[in-house]
Amino acid sequence: MKTKLSNEISELLENNIISQQVASNITAYYKSKEDNQPNRLFTVFGVLGATLVGLGIILILAHNWDNFSRPIKTFFAFLPLVIGQILSGFTILKKKSQAWKESSGTFLFFTIGSSIALVSQIYNIPGDLGSYLFTWIVLALPLIYLLNSKAVSILIIVFASYYACELGYSFGYKDKTPWMYLVFILATLPFYLKLLKTSTLANSTSIFNWLYVLSFTVVLGTFINSNWPVGFLMYAMLFGVFYNLGKTPIYKDQQLRRNSFTVIGSLGTVVLLTILSFHIIWEEVVKRASIAMNTQEMIISTLLLGVAFAILIYSKKNEKNETFNLFQYVFLIVAIIFFLGVANAVVATVLTNVLLLVLGLFAIKIGADTFRFSVLNYGLLIITAVIVCRFFDTDMSFVFRGILFVAVGFGFFLANYIMLKRKKELNR
Amino acid sequence: MKTIHVFIIFLIVALVQLVVPAKMIFDREEVLETGTTYKFKTQPIDPNDPFRGKYITLNYEMDSAKTNDSIWKQDETILVYLENDSLGYAKVHSVSKEEKDIDRDYVEAKVRWNYGNSNTVKFELPFDRFYMEETKAKPAEDIYRKYNRIRDTLNQTYALVAVKNGKAVLKDVYINDKPIIYYIEKDNNH
Repeated sequence: MKTKLSNEISELLENNIISQQVASNITAYYKSKEDNQPNRLFTVFGVLGATLVGLGIILILAHNWDNFSRPIKTFFAFLPLVIGQILSGFTILKKKSQAWKESSGTFLFFTIGSSIALVSQIYNIPGDLGSYLFTWIVLALPLIYLLNSKAVSILIIVFASYYACELGYSFGYKDKTPWMYLVFILATLPFYLKLLKTSTLANSTSIFNWLYVLSFTVVLGTFINSNWPVGFLMYAMLFGVFYNLGKTPIYKDQQLRRNSFTVIGSLGTVVLLTILSFHIIWEEVVKRASIAMNTQEMIISTLLLGVAFAILIYSKKNEKNETFNLFQYVFLIVAIIFFLGVANAVVATVLTNVLLLVLGLFAIKIGADTFRFSVLNYGLLIITAVIVCRFFDTDMSFVFRGILFVAVGFGFFLANYIMLKRKKELNR
Repeated sequence: MKTIHVFIIFLIVALVQLVVPAKMIFDREEVLETGTTYKFKTQPIDPNDPFRGKYITLNYEMDSAKTNDSIWKQDETILVYLENDSLGYAKVHSVSKEEKDIDRDYVEAKVRWNYGNSNTVKFELPFDRFYMEETKAKPAEDIYRKYNRIRDTLNQTYALVAVKNGKAVLKDVYINDKPIIYYIEKDNNH
């Protein structure tokens, strides 16, 4: 980069495009910019190194060196932890660079785990993986703020999700709802909000965008107890929250690869609706769902509905002349369909299919209006998905299905072709 | 916030990070040194834990008790009072929800379920994990099977557990009168 820039500058100088003064100004500007930026590569390798060493220590200790005496094993339980603490303390006291903070924080995070693991091992301390992870997360949480460390925050989110899955997805009588997961995530939020404020467009911030969305999507299922059909409603509401969050002023104008909220909100809704477009699913819902407000699933669904609705109103208030976007309202429609579906499976199935088709058409319209091929084809894909799924549970004749597929194929081709042509005309 | 303040908070957090494992050690050491040791008949099987290594899960023969108290909730804490049978193995003296005013050792266990009408409550003793060197956990299970085939009162697998004030620490797993490790090493030498 640097040599390329200086080459360009000397070329511009030679051809008298810029003066000597401008050239040295440009060089000085880029140099100062570089100095302000911490060495990112160094940070990344520091964190990776610390992670590998930390995990390595855990594995080595997990071997269980049974020919060492208890005092020696106890010494080794504390040694890595103390080293991690000294490194982190030194980093804070000497105000070391961000690379130091991230690396020492990561190392300390893993040594906390190794320390309690080895003590558990020496004294045969009972307790399943869930309770072990719980202690670990609690002890490491403050490091996010003390070291101002993104790496530790990422680790906490990942481990909190691990903890939640361990508790909530372990089949059998030990299945529990991981309420403490919410506390852990809540504890990481102030750090994330600060990142959003100070460096909205940084790559690291978009890692957090994705991490939160994926974590919530994976973990929400652990909050489903016996009333599982209402789980569909919970997920529909969660995706409603995501999509509407993605349309708030902070995320709205960001690229899709950063805006995990819009991507997962939209994709999640479509996948969920595709599942719900099968009649057999609604039959199960009719049979087993309870919409009594005292079940955990219904309370969570209602809460999420409220949150999604609040965000929707908030973003509508901020945008005066915003065009109508059906995707923002889908969660409300799904909620209505669900309540109809508890009583009548056929009505719900038909409505879900219609809704999916309308969403597909709507995406095509948005794509055509904004000249975005990705959105256009996303809409076409939704429609294709509906048709393919109906392939399985309807008794249409082969000829009819064949004609339908040919028609959709032509639709793909035509829609893209027409838009390409219009775009070319506009550019002329 | 000033660096020194952050550092002071860090010191406190670091201290907690040290105290938690230290307290885990201290509590167990106390039970090991001053507690009474009981033998619990058991059978081992070997799973593993991604962070803490290989262990054998111990299924105890002693897992239920008669009780007149019919309302036991799953996962509720149950105090199991102990006595020794004629062969020196632990057996249930009585169970209770609160501490009783009797001069007996007890362990805190978790209720699994109870059969409402038969007056029996099933419980799970907490000291069910015995960590072993990674190559030895599986042989431990096999050796137990081998010795268990010759089933008589003399061939017993049991856990040696120190008990004090409801807290229990698993010391070792024995077959007959020798630690299970002894049999594994004997097998390896053959």
